[in-house]
Amino acid sequence: MNIENTQSQMRKGVLEYCILSIIKRGEAYPGDIIDEMKSSGLQLLEGTLYPLLNRLKNAEILAYKWVESTSGPPRKYFRLTDKGRVFYSLLEMTWNELSNGVEAVTQKTIQESNNEAK
Amino acid sequence: MKKVININFQGQVIAIEETAYEMLKRYIESLKNYFSREEGGDEIVNDIENRIAELFGNRLKHGINVITDEDVEAITNSIGKPEDFDSDFEEAQKENYASHSKPSMPPPFEENNNQSESKSLYRDSKDKIIAGVCSGLANYFKIDPVWMRLIFVVFFSVLFFVYILLWIILKPMPLESSIAKRLYRNPNDKIIAGVCGGFAAYFKIDAWIPRLIFTIPLLLSVVGMASFFPLNVFFGDFDFKWGFNWTVLLIYVVLWIIVPKATTVKQKVEMMGEKDYIKSIRETVSDNVASVKSKEESNPGIVSSISTNTGGESDEVVSNAGTVNMGDLPPEPPKYSAARTAKATPTPERSGCLNAILVFFKIFLGFAAVIICMVMIAVSVGLIFANVELASLKSLFINQGYESSLMWAFIILAFALPVVAMVIWLIRRAGNYKAYPVLGWITVVLWIIGIVAGGVLATRVTGKFKEISYDEKNIQLSSVKGDKLYVDMLNYSKDYYTFDAGFGFDSEIDGLPNYTLNEDSLLFSDISIQITESRDSLYHVALIGSSAEHDLKVAKNNAQEFRYEFQQKDSVLLLPEFFSIPINQGFRLQSMVVEIAVPLGKKIEIDDSLNGYERGISPDRLFNKLKKSRRLNDYLSWDTGKEYIMKRGELESASDTVQHLQNDTTEMKR
Repeated sequence: MNIENTQSQMRKGVLEYCILSIIKRGEAYPGDIIDEMKSSGLQLLEGTLYPLLNRLKNAEILAYKWVESTSGPPRKYFRLTDKGRVFYSLLEMTWNELSNGVEAVTQKTIQESNNEAK
Repeated sequence: MKKVININFQGQVIAIEETAYEMLKRYIESLKNYFSREEGGDEIVNDIENRIAELFGNRLKHGINVITDEDVEAITNSIGKPEDFDSDFEEAQKENYASHSKPSMPPPFEENNNQSESKSLYRDSKDKIIAGVCSGLANYFKIDPVWMRLIFVVFFSVLFFVYILLWIILKPMPLESSIAKRLYRNPNDKIIAGVCGGFAAYFKIDAWIPRLIFTIPLLLSVVGMASFFPLNVFFGDFDFKWGFNWTVLLIYVVLWIIVPKATTVKQKVEMMGEKDYIKSIRETVSDNVASVKSKEESNPGIVSSISTNTGGESDEVVSNAGTVNMGDLPPEPPKYSAARTAKATPTPERSGCLNAILVFFKIFLGFAAVIICMVMIAVSVGLIFANVELASLKSLFINQGYESSLMWAFIILAFALPVVAMVIWLIRRAGNYKAYPVLGWITVVLWIIGIVAGGVLATRVTGKFKEISYDEKNIQLSSVKGDKLYVDMLNYSKDYYTFDAGFGFDSEIDGLPNYTLNEDSLLFSDISIQITESRDSLYHVALIGSSAEHDLKVAKNNAQEFRYEFQQKDSVLLLPEFFSIPINQGFRLQSMVVEIAVPLGKKIEIDDSLNGYERGISPDRLFNKLKKSRRLNDYLSWDTGKEYIMKRGELESASDTVQHLQNDTTEMKR
């Protein structure tokens, strides 16, 4: 059991949720998504983003259109499909459950260790 | 000092250091390899390439003139290397990590620097022909897997079970080869499979040397086959000289199977050696740069273009107002971005069994193709020489018009065309001309048409022998003086042609007719004389002509056209040597039965010149028909040159009678 593996598993789980969340706000191309993730302090390898977007697109959760760019090749702008919106809301529910639960559990652990320290 | 080259990358012209370009190329290669496992992998790689192009563009905008090694490194780090992408991949590759720091970006320049500390025996799941046993062994002993495979092929009988055993015992593992130079098949310099090209690259010699070594024995045997080729392939006794050098062919096929094709950059470097590879790359790159430049001159001002391989119904192209005028865009974006020149063929994971089947299929196809080619060439050469002789034979079986055209279509399309196509193909291959796959397809279609024509022709020709019918003429002989009929042969007085298939084999093909000098009739000697008992006190002759045809009525008509005019001179019956038929009937198994009815107590003698005419009734189908309608049992056996007396139910030899009498007298004396 190595730590890197566990960490990457944890990140991987929320990655999809974060990306869909960014796209839900408005159409975005991979460059935007990477910049936003990085500025929020979430580590993301670009190389993992493209296959993920591709898979989501194949699953008809995302759709895209080509937009000409002034600074290079045309870009793919992604948006959520109807199916994607349903998918996202389900993820949102799960995340809220998870985040509340995790918060509750870990908070206890933190408090107890604080108490011991005292 | 570093060399800078211009590349067209995703529609952008980018100045890049040569070493950086090499890095970039290897990186994209590794991505392609990695994503080939995934559905839509090409698209992902394309997206990433787009992104890299964009990042390059940003860099170049900020006043930097040229992309350097560091730029490429920074970008690849930010995008990530395949082994960083997911942990499954990491786990599978973990064993190799110990010995190789960067397996996905194999640095051929510092190969072998790090030796693995612990080594165990695995099956190589990456480089395998059947199950990767040989490759794994080779990896263990640090030799080229090709030699290990060769050992297993040569000592097949002994090592077969070893192989199976190792297949079962060893665990599969993607191994990283540790040898710098390997024998590969060279896809850039190939005529059939690139085996010779690979040898050339391996031994650093010109490719024609191994090629010559391989082809000389083959050419010799083709010449040998053609010169020995007789048409008796089609007729009976099979005396085909297979003076054929199988060894060299076998060696080639074995090498084809066991030597892997160099597809990736790393493999090509291993095949050629680093220096030569870079040299060859330089040539390709400079070609590309030249073509990019010419493209630019014709389309000034175009910086970006749209990739067409996007796919999916949601694709829309939206042009930002004013930035780029869509009308100016070339319909096909320049696809020859330098990083793509070496295409990676993804090696999909296959099960061992399927792989083995594919290999055997490959062997089978290879052998079949070579045999077919050889026979085709031999037949074509044979036909060229045989054409003169066969032309006359042809009229016997094939009508003018439709069938004749079918035959020519068959000969030209099924035999001549593949030979011509093969020669052209070899020339084009040797000269490195541009390939037109359409030509190949057209050839294949035409060839199939030829084969179909052959099939139609064959059914038509065999159909001509489907139905058999006969026509009977009864002739009463004028009264014979005395009580003996003497049967003699009336020789054909004129000269005649015989059908001769040539090629030094027996020209008297059984049953083939002769033809008259003015070529209006065919002369058949297929005549059978049968003797039976007359129902009255007179001699009778019945002529039963029989012929085959696709239709019974036509067969009957044919049989009625037979001409067989015997003569009677007192007690001598003269039977002509041949019966004749109009030449337009062709060969339809025509035969004639001459039935002579002898009254009881009368005598008959058949001259020695008619030796051979006592043959049985042929063909069998006529015999069967006669059996149904006639009293075949009444036919009596006889010999030439003997006098017979007709007794009830048998022919009694006159000399036998004499002997009887003698026996009687001797007995009486006692």
